[in-house]
Amino acid sequence: MLEAPLIEDCAPAGFLKIDFAHGRPEPTFNSHIGNLYVKRGDKGTRDEFVMGFRVHQHMCNPAGGLHGGMMMTVADLVGAMGGGTLAGLRKFLPTVNMTFDFVAPAKVGDWVEGRAELVRATRSLLFTNIYLTVGEDKILRASSICKIPSGDGLAFGKAKLVREDAKP
Amino acid sequence: MSISPARVPDGFRRLTEASGFAAANGPWFEKIEDGRAIRGFLPGPQHANALGIVHGGMLAAFLDSAMGTAVWHTLKRRAVTLRLSIDYLGPGRIGDWLQAEGEVVGHDEHVVQVRGRLYGRRHDVLAGLGVFSLLSRHRQL
Repeated sequence: MLEAPLIEDCAPAGFLKIDFAHGRPEPTFNSHIGNLYVKRGDKGTRDEFVMGFRVHQHMCNPAGGLHGGMMMTVADLVGAMGGGTLAGLRKFLPTVNMTFDFVAPAKVGDWVEGRAELVRATRSLLFTNIYLTVGEDKILRASSICKIPSGDGLAFGKAKLVREDAKP
Repeated sequence: MSISPARVPDGFRRLTEASGFAAANGPWFEKIEDGRAIRGFLPGPQHANALGIVHGGMLAAFLDSAMGTAVWHTLKRRAVTLRLSIDYLGPGRIGDWLQAEGEVVGHDEHVVQVRGRLYGRRHDVLAGLGVFSLLSRHRQL
């Protein structure tokens, strides 16, 4: 269904591809939309959790820009996975609300990064702010509220990082 | 994924002009009823998240498209999304037909406010409120 990628991802140093399909019979939405990468930095720094992806044609709208649906999907993941990581939670966090501001477009070939800021974690709710950026430019501002399930909840999916992709 | 026509409700036309993200995550369908544009799609495994229900990002993208279409049908102007706020009310299930529609609640020359709703046969899935920026009447996409 997807066109063959015309460009390579060429993820910057430190980014590892996320294998969402690990142990699953069929690819789910997170792998269907294209390759997503994660970089982990030191705790408490801006880069503690960074998600990244290369913009391909199959992520774009008819006008040729990165589709808002792709931006929202990645922001949702950054809010739940990134926000959860910053809060030290290893559970699946269902989204309750998201608000997106589409600040600027992105185009094919751009490398997009997403970072979360932890606003507050209560016993049952996680509040985060999320920015998607291309270089120094912000393209999407989002705010997210996730539910923190009681007990152990569901495990953090089956996603794992593909270590072989690590560039020296 | 192939869609058996029997599972698409009557009156829905397959959107064939889709490209890029919409084509890769379709097929999407549309019908006009009482002047309202209603969009529908049948979620498959490729739309699922880790829990096996429809991914929030897919739902957001689909509601956004339905709300943008509502602007076109109401004002005959193309628009791009400036802001979208979404409440996730219930899960969308794989294999259960979902549809979405928008309603223009206000506008001036530049921006338009739209309320949106995404729902299954028996339950609401998303409630949305969006602000869209109207494109110039002369602008080609």
